[in-house]
Amino acid sequence: MIQYRQIHKSFDHPVLSGVDLRIDTGEMFALFGPSGTGKSVLLKTTIALITPDMGDVMIDGESVYFGDDGSLARARRKVGYVFQNAALFDSFNVFENVAMGIPEDVLKRMPRMELARRVWEAIELVNLDPIEVLEKIPSELSGGMRKRVGIARAIIGRPEILLWDEPTTGLDPINTAAVERLIVRLSDNLEVTSLVVTHDIEGGLLFCDRVAMLDQGRLRFCGTPDEFRRSGDPVVQAFQDRAAAERALDMAIEHD
Amino acid sequence: MGRGTELVFDHAGALGLLTWAMIMSVVRLKVPSREFFRQIYVMGVESLPIVFVTGALAGIVTSQQGGYQMTGAIPQYILGSLVAQTVVLEMGPVLTAIVLVGRVGARITAELGTMKVSEQIDAYHSLGRDPVVLLGTPRVLAGIVVMPILVGFANLIGILAGMVAARLDSGLGFESFLYGANLFWHSWDLFYSFTKALVFGVSIPLISVHMGFRTQGGAEGVGRTTTDAVMFMTLTILILDAMFPPLLLN
Ligand SMILES: Nc1ncnc2c1ncn2[C@@H]1O[C@H](COP(=O)(O)OP(=O)(O)OP(=O)(O)O)[C@@H](O)[C@H]1O
Ligand SMILES: [Mg+2]
Repeated sequence: MIQYRQIHKSFDHPVLSGVDLRIDTGEMFALFGPSGTGKSVLLKTTIALITPDMGDVMIDGESVYFGDDGSLARARRKVGYVFQNAALFDSFNVFENVAMGIPEDVLKRMPRMELARRVWEAIELVNLDPIEVLEKIPSELSGGMRKRVGIARAIIGRPEILLWDEPTTGLDPINTAAVERLIVRLSDNLEVTSLVVTHDIEGGLLFCDRVAMLDQGRLRFCGTPDEFRRSGDPVVQAFQDRAAAERALDMAIEHD
Repeated sequence: MGRGTELVFDHAGALGLLTWAMIMSVVRLKVPSREFFRQIYVMGVESLPIVFVTGALAGIVTSQQGGYQMTGAIPQYILGSLVAQTVVLEMGPVLTAIVLVGRVGARITAELGTMKVSEQIDAYHSLGRDPVVLLGTPRVLAGIVVMPILVGFANLIGILAGMVAARLDSGLGFESFLYGANLFWHSWDLFYSFTKALVFGVSIPLISVHMGFRTQGGAEGVGRTTTDAVMFMTLTILILDAMFPPLLLN
């Protein structure tokens, strides 16, 4: 369970001004919102990659910011983070990148064969060919491949909570579907809690239990996909219309 | 408090914390050896050619300048002493440091800065790894190991080049040169030279790591921070160098 409590964050301008949100264990939760509203910032505050000016995050009831010395480390261990731009380590190859997803103490004790098997498995899960990519360094991969390696790195450690920052942006339809299936499967089988930031409104509404919309530093909406579709809030409606229009435009371009 | 003062305190505080974190990682024996040896190679071995050239030129210039300024009343072999002392006490350590600012310091800042703006540093944190331990400490330790060796090398080359230049320029024989060099030689000079090397060897990677980690704002930010880091390191070297004589040469 993740609870965001009154998260405030300003850079040179206010970005988040009091976000309250609770995501239950095992839930799949989608977070929507226009570009630049602070979705990535909110995700980063979960494990103190960005420290909020005010407020706190609780993970399974334990405070990330006001807990004891080990609470941040425990939070980071529970959480797998898929970065918007993959954030692979430039100087490591794919194998080493993915292996880094296993906590340090576990990695030290793990037999080589077991490690190889785990990495292989994680790479297959994201629909990549291990033989083709394992030895490559990130600059030799396409953007979509990098993204999927980033996902493999986030899931290999078997985290209880997964934070996905636009996992499907920049992927072709086949791989988008593969990643969506993966997110659903992880949440179904393993009781993994998933918080997905996405521009793919249709996809989010289809496979998530609940959704929320961030707008101008606050949560504009939080509820089930059905409630979202039928929301009487003009801002929410306008957002959906714009998203639908963009989608139609994308399809038109693809069909050209 | 003025903005300048604030900036100085800001950097000083951050550098202090960074140094502390690095000391702790050394004490806990958590330094990754592979990265450490890679940095020794990158900072040390790959710097040898440029340090060789710099050292040689420093010796030659000192020798020429000295020869030009010496008038008839002073015995010529004094030139040996002049070259040896100037190279060992001043030119060797300082020029090597300045070269390393450009070759190593700028590279570290740009490298870590790029990792910062492309979220790789965040990725280390998210995976429960400490980027200070994994990236910072090995670079600073490598600087501590490499710099005295490079300075020793520059000193040796500088004196040899100065000796050859003295012969070609002023016709001073090798033996007279060495006689002069020995006449005023204290083993203290070498200690002084290596102390400088050590101080510079810590400062350059420490400042460049510090600046790299605080990089912000995309590719442009990396460029800006790298330039700032080079300024910061160069000034630090020159200021520290000016502090040495009153502290150690009395
Ligand atoms: N490290 C930072 N330093 C300064 N400003 C930042 C930083 N990170 C984010 N911001 C600012 O915070 C605001 C929100 O950024 P954020 O990346 O969270 O948007 P987003 O909702 O994820 O947008 P997108 O959908 O385009 O990814 C932006 O105005 C951005 O410039
Ligand atoms: Mg974002």
